[in-house]
Amino acid sequence: MEIEFQRVGKKYESGQEALSQVSFHLQQGEMAFLTGHSGAGKSTLMKLMMMIERQTSGQIIVDGVDLRTLSRRAIPQHRRRVGVVFQNHQLLFDRSVFHNVALPLQVSGADPQQIAKRVRAALDKVGLLDKEKYNPMALSGGEQQRVGIARAVVNKPQLLLADEPTGNLDPKLSAEIMNLFQEFNRVGVTVLVASHDLALVARMRHRVLTLSQGRMVSGGGFG
Amino acid sequence: MTQKPNQRGATRESIKATQHHWPTRSAFQPGKYLRQHQATLTESFMRLLSYPLASVMTVMVIAIALSLPGGLYVLLKNVHSVTDQWEQQSVITLYLFPELEDTQALALSHRLSAQADIASVEYISKEEGLRYFERSSGYEQIMSSLPENPLPIVLRVIPKADVDVSTLPSLQALRDQLASQKEVDYAELDAQWLQRLANILSFGQRFVYALSVLLVVAVLLIVGNTIRMAVESRRNEVLVMKLVGATDAYIRRPFLYMGFWFGVLGGFFASLCILLLSWWVSSPAQRLIELYQSGLQLQTFNADEIVLCLTISAFVGVIGAWIAVSRHIANIELQ
Ligand SMILES: Nc1ncnc2c1ncn2[C@@H]1O[C@H](COP(=O)(O)OP(=O)(O)OP(=O)(O)O)[C@@H](O)[C@H]1O
Ligand SMILES: [Mg+2]
Repeated sequence: MEIEFQRVGKKYESGQEALSQVSFHLQQGEMAFLTGHSGAGKSTLMKLMMMIERQTSGQIIVDGVDLRTLSRRAIPQHRRRVGVVFQNHQLLFDRSVFHNVALPLQVSGADPQQIAKRVRAALDKVGLLDKEKYNPMALSGGEQQRVGIARAVVNKPQLLLADEPTGNLDPKLSAEIMNLFQEFNRVGVTVLVASHDLALVARMRHRVLTLSQGRMVSGGGFG
Repeated sequence: MTQKPNQRGATRESIKATQHHWPTRSAFQPGKYLRQHQATLTESFMRLLSYPLASVMTVMVIAIALSLPGGLYVLLKNVHSVTDQWEQQSVITLYLFPELEDTQALALSHRLSAQADIASVEYISKEEGLRYFERSSGYEQIMSSLPENPLPIVLRVIPKADVDVSTLPSLQALRDQLASQKEVDYAELDAQWLQRLANILSFGQRFVYALSVLLVVAVLLIVGNTIRMAVESRRNEVLVMKLVGATDAYIRRPFLYMGFWFGVLGGFFASLCILLLSWWVSSPAQRLIELYQSGLQLQTFNADEIVLCLTISAFVGVIGAWIAVSRHIANIELQ
């Protein structure tokens, strides 16, 4: 998936200007990191891509389509093409790991055999195939995080967005998860990861977009 | 679409190449659709079981709310079936002038039976009248003491139309027409009491209708409230579903099916209540009916009416859920 931001601004109803004049271009199949201080606007930028929030100025163009032209009814279809790992929308504890991961497939009406096959493939990728019957409550923080990633990729999205996916994980686990993203990127998925962890980001050797006070201060001018 | 084409020459091509990947609306696939609905039907039933107490209470309240108008309906039906029989007994009785000759009376009788709105005319001569009188009452003494038969010739006119509220005005008109015949002294339509009864019945009917409407509204509110609580308790799930691309319709569906189950179960228990109640009152009621009219069967909810009751309650359940859920789900926004 190809994404282009053109002088995008987002002013919340509270009057808070979370993003202003943000421009950048993510090529199809590219992987990039998004960094910046707390409150810089990283999460806001990802929410705009998911159409959870709408920009108040500028254009966001996804695969040649201006997101402003999409109606409310088209939003679910858009979201199905994007896999997300957002911290505040984690797993549902009233169902097994398997059914958590199956959710994106169920909502798009895949048939049960297809669902089972794809869920197991996704769980296999994150190394949790043997935990499919567990309740996510019974898993460690890192395992839960990986279930979230499996859910994000089970639908074979064209874009993977991860907001602080390594938030409170130890360095070893963080690196493992980053490697996972890299693997998905290698098969052609466009990946954007928001992270505070500058050391980890530097080690990954990918393009880095840096936000400060809602402005793109580096990484946006090329690509 | 792109404002700066010079910056990236590839944009046009990439737009073309990717445009067909943009599925704004997927094609309708019946198999997929049915499968989803079937899965939702069972899943929503499981949801009811996950709040057993609230569900049982809701179903019972619905059952009670529905069995009240249902029971009154059955009562009315029985009253109707009794009064339907009474209706056929109504006749217009013509008392002819006493000095009238038999031949004149017979001529009138023939003329009237040819009239289009009259089914038959029964001729009761003075002698027959006297015999009837002697047989049926304790007047024998008086009658035999009279020098001559004081009774007039009587014609019992049976109109074609049955007497009920709708035909009453035309029958009254017929009565007036018959009364204006020169041979007729006095014409009596034996239906005033029936009009009173019909009025009471139509009052009863309207009362049941009004009560049904009120209680159906109550059921809407009950179902709506329970479903609203169910949505609220699943707020997190709704948010996650929206995040992974569920449509509002998809999220709504299991809740609508919950409403459906509430309605069907409520209707089922209401029908059961009515059947039990009818059975319970059946023997005293049967005795009461037999006092007035033999050969009448006590009416209860029949199969058609049970199906109707279930259909209405299922419908009301779904509507109640719809009202509660449609705006609510749209208002649960990701942030
Ligand atoms: N729903 C909202 N309403 C009003 N203001 C908001 C809302 N969400 C975020 N903001 C504000 O917008 C700014 C950017 O927030 P955002 O969450 O995008 O930052 P962030 O870079 O993700 O920070 P962090 O690293 O702490 O997650 C902040 O000043 C925040 O207070
Ligand atoms: Mg954030």
